[in-house]
Amino acid sequence: MSTYLWALAVVGIVVLAAACLEFFRARRARARSIGAVAAASSEPYILYFTGDGCTVCRTHQEPALAKLGDVRVDKVDAIAERALADRFHVYTLPTTVVMSREGAALHVNYGYAPTPKLERQLAEARGTLQVAATA
Amino acid sequence: MATQVVDHSALKVNQAGIVLTVLVAFIGSAFYRPLLVLIPLLAVVLLLGTFAPRLALFKQLYFKVLKPRGVVKPRPVQDNPVPHNFAQGLGGVFLAVATVFLLPLPVVGLALALIVAVLAFVNFAFGYCLGCQIYFQLAKAGVIRAS
Repeated sequence: MSTYLWALAVVGIVVLAAACLEFFRARRARARSIGAVAAASSEPYILYFTGDGCTVCRTHQEPALAKLGDVRVDKVDAIAERALADRFHVYTLPTTVVMSREGAALHVNYGYAPTPKLERQLAEARGTLQVAATA
Repeated sequence: MATQVVDHSALKVNQAGIVLTVLVAFIGSAFYRPLLVLIPLLAVVLLLGTFAPRLALFKQLYFKVLKPRGVVKPRPVQDNPVPHNFAQGLGGVFLAVATVFLLPLPVVGLALALIVAVLAFVNFAFGYCLGCQIYFQLAKAGVIRAS
């Protein structure tokens, strides 16, 4: 029986280690991506990195983006546009980047980002711009 | 993007089959050791299904039994089947390695099989496919050509 308990313990440790690794990887990638630049726009917009094998992109992320309404969403194939994907340290799909009017990355979401989160980030992007404009 | 219609219910049945088989092998073998043979059998099923989809046991169970009888409803989604096949093959390889370790180092063998079950469960429950992410990383690095 101890063999089975050890096997469970090993799996627990592996899962925990993978979760920690993912957390630190996302944090490091996010820190490196903030401020990276792409095209400027009249309004904050979203860079949406997706790809062929991304099921969550189709089943979750795209409906969530559609609910945002009148927001510009630039869909990017992360493999075809590798240079752009590397600039934003895209290591998982989907990845969504909330861009400022000047074309600088303000928020980077690795993995599925629900509509309320994106709305909050977009509102923040607009608010930040207003503060910057009035300062 | 090379997308076509993929029935996600078939994928879910496949994932559920993997989880159940590993669980039966893991829990059952504690009482009846020969049940460990399910792990190499599952490895064979997954690897065969990767290279010859007609031989994918769980998917065939879905297409031939569960779907016609209305037990599981179809869920067609515009998708690319290649990364899912890649993930299944990866699971098969992990189970094959687990098989090699089952007799000399049962802790390693059982742990590897359980990891495959955990990843299949994560895919089943949350739609996160680690194998597909590895496929994306390899395609991005140019190691494999994304179809």
